[in-house]
Amino acid sequence: MSTTLEAPPQTYALELRGIRKAFPGVQALDGVDLVMRPGEIHALVGENGAGKSTLLKIITGIYRPDEGTLEVDGQSRAFGSPRDSLHAGIGIVHQERNLIPKFSVAENITLEQPPVRNGQWIDRDRMRTESERWLDLLQIPIDPERSVEDLSVAQRQLVEIAKALSLESRILLLDEPTASLTPHETAVLFEILQRLRDDGVAILFVSHKLEEIFAICDRVTVLRDGKVAALDRDLRELDRDQLVTLMIGRSEHVAEFPQRDLSEAPVVLELRDVTSAAGPTDIDLALHKGEILGLYGLVGAGRTELARTIIGDVPMTSGEILVDGQSAIISDARAALERYRIGYVSENRQTEGLILSHSVLANVAMTVWSRLATWLGWIQPGAERSAVGPFIDRLQVKTPSLEQQVGNLSGGNQQKVSLSKWLAAQTAILIVDEPTVGIDVKTKHELHELIWELANQGLSILLISSDMPEMVQLADRIVVMVDRRVAGSLPNNRNYDDMSQQIMSLIHRRADPPDTPA
Amino acid sequence: MSAVALHQASSSRLQSLANKEWAWLAGIILLMSAVLTILEPNFLTQFNFYVLLRGIAVTLIVAYAQLMVLVVGQLNLSVGATGGMVAICTGGMMEVWGLPTVIAVALGLLIGVGAGLANGLLTTRTGINGFIITLATASAFTGVTIGLNDAKPWYNLPKRFVEFGQGRIGPFPYIAIVTIIVGILLWVLFERTLLGRQILAVGGNQRAAELSGIPVDRILVIVFVLSAILSSIAGIILMARLGSAQPSIGSDWLLPSFAIPIVAGIALSGGSAPVINTALAALLIALIDNGLVLTKADPYWIQFLLGLIILVAVGLNRLRAVREAKRTTAS
Repeated sequence: MSTTLEAPPQTYALELRGIRKAFPGVQALDGVDLVMRPGEIHALVGENGAGKSTLLKIITGIYRPDEGTLEVDGQSRAFGSPRDSLHAGIGIVHQERNLIPKFSVAENITLEQPPVRNGQWIDRDRMRTESERWLDLLQIPIDPERSVEDLSVAQRQLVEIAKALSLESRILLLDEPTASLTPHETAVLFEILQRLRDDGVAILFVSHKLEEIFAICDRVTVLRDGKVAALDRDLRELDRDQLVTLMIGRSEHVAEFPQRDLSEAPVVLELRDVTSAAGPTDIDLALHKGEILGLYGLVGAGRTELARTIIGDVPMTSGEILVDGQSAIISDARAALERYRIGYVSENRQTEGLILSHSVLANVAMTVWSRLATWLGWIQPGAERSAVGPFIDRLQVKTPSLEQQVGNLSGGNQQKVSLSKWLAAQTAILIVDEPTVGIDVKTKHELHELIWELANQGLSILLISSDMPEMVQLADRIVVMVDRRVAGSLPNNRNYDDMSQQIMSLIHRRADPPDTPA
Repeated sequence: MSAVALHQASSSRLQSLANKEWAWLAGIILLMSAVLTILEPNFLTQFNFYVLLRGIAVTLIVAYAQLMVLVVGQLNLSVGATGGMVAICTGGMMEVWGLPTVIAVALGLLIGVGAGLANGLLTTRTGINGFIITLATASAFTGVTIGLNDAKPWYNLPKRFVEFGQGRIGPFPYIAIVTIIVGILLWVLFERTLLGRQILAVGGNQRAAELSGIPVDRILVIVFVLSAILSSIAGIILMARLGSAQPSIGSDWLLPSFAIPIVAGIALSGGSAPVINTALAALLIALIDNGLVLTKADPYWIQFLLGLIILVAVGLNRLRAVREAKRTTAS
């Protein structure tokens, strides 16, 4: 195609046309277009596996497209590496953590363009002040000298955003930036994004949270099965249902769960004045049989740390835990599972929940092996399959076979596998930590219905979630944690506006602003 | 649509075959055997097969000793040192104390268990990587081996013991019986037992295994003990084969102990236990060795070639991992 000098009808900050990319066995992108204008926040949505990640990797030079063109400010480009993309003014906040754990926050933020003195010596003072500037802008109370490995998941996410902002890119891509952020942190981020938009930055916002899409984005492109289902549509002309229909190809089904009062049901898990080495202090908590008890709080409030204390993963320094009214000494996850039938579904399903290189079967059966073993530790061929098969069927895990490697499944199906493991173990109490982070709308609903059904059948669930709609939809009661203490317990009336108001007022009464966890 | 489907079908079939290490290994073994048969009339003789199998009988157990630890993502640098120490101790008990074979071997294996416990407990209690721990214990064990009899071998081993080590039925050495039993037991361990599954889980993701109620530290200690027992068995049968307890036993095991599982396609990050492929890989490497000897190549080239084979094997594994990763992120 010969380029002429005539001006294009409209100059896009970024323009992709006819992008195709195939992997062995998968046509990941099949003729995808995408346009972004300066001064606009553009949403890219689609279910898991729709091709969003692949498209982002093409824009950032990690993959090369098989076909199609990419133009930045009207200039045709071919990126051979992430560096090329960076030099073309494209910054990205990745969904996967791309920080160097051993480096400090400041070193990570200034990694791409470290401040130097006399041409080659790293200027540590400027490194500190520059990173402080970006951290302050985002209102992140983190010491830039701290090592990234000591930060929580959410804090790392914030650092990652600060790092992308520090590059002052003209095109900024954000892949699920709010997945582990609290409403407050999200609000701060949105303010900054709006400021950047007003400065003429072109922003691409990838998220599963439709509330956020409607709150902040101007236009939207929808991907479905590697194709464009809607290109560059004005979001004011679309409502939530229409967008979901575009994403999944049919209309969404949202389950409404009834209100329940389980205060008369027996208490299965009780915490009395529990203080943990990991932070949680003087925690009182009671979980009734068949109840879904929500645990809500800001980052650093100590919810995950509390869960880890309950299963004996971190030591309890004082207080008492009672299971079924009996004082319980839980030394490790093994004791939690085998003696007290307590399971923990980790928020980090890939690093803590699953063995990605192993089969679905092995992953789910992990918790039941010791029960299946007979004389001399022998496990009958087929015993695993019959023990875990029903649970995998019940959760409708989409997998070609039980021998499929878990790493090859989508995020939603991985989460289902992670849950099946604990159902197969026949736990009585299940602590579920951020069950739907990074999971597509449809699977999210399936998981919600599943959790509800399990509770109805008598499983007692402690639900940790930073997703307020999820919390209000599912929990029977919501315990709010602030600054590693319980700030209050609210019965859920399932009225979103009312509940979110109550929760936020509890949070801001106690700690304003939230300080950094130790 | 149909073109895509067709493309998918044909590429996945090709890939599934290319992904099967045993197909590669078996193919190369057959090819090499054919070439050697044509080039070298001495290859297809009973005695040559005996020599070949005699070598494999020991190196395969050595490879299994390393595989055990590789499964959990650790390294054991003391495989050779343990084998040497146990051989010298067992030989000494036979010669100096005049203990019957069965008792001496049992006590020798017990010493092996002690060495494994030392490795395992030091690794789990200190949290220091097994690589460093076994680097240190390897030196200590070798010190014992040399110190016990001033670096001199024991020659007076029981006659029946040596007969077992050197005897054969046609091309088939008696000591290979031990190797076959070891191989079958390992296969059963990983395919059919609780312990085997737990070892694989710890190797696949230690944290996930821990949170799923698997006693990770205990499993790691057991793994080091099993590795040491296998090293001891290799040391003892090599001693029987040589007819004397040489302090040099085990000193040249380090390279093959890694080369064979790597050629078998083991994931160095842990979580896989290719027991059968390791046997094929041992055969392949023995064939290469044998071919070079038969064609009277310079023995130094064997060392060079082994290094090259490791690089190629690692490279192929890496290539597959990268392709796998790309496919995974796309879907």
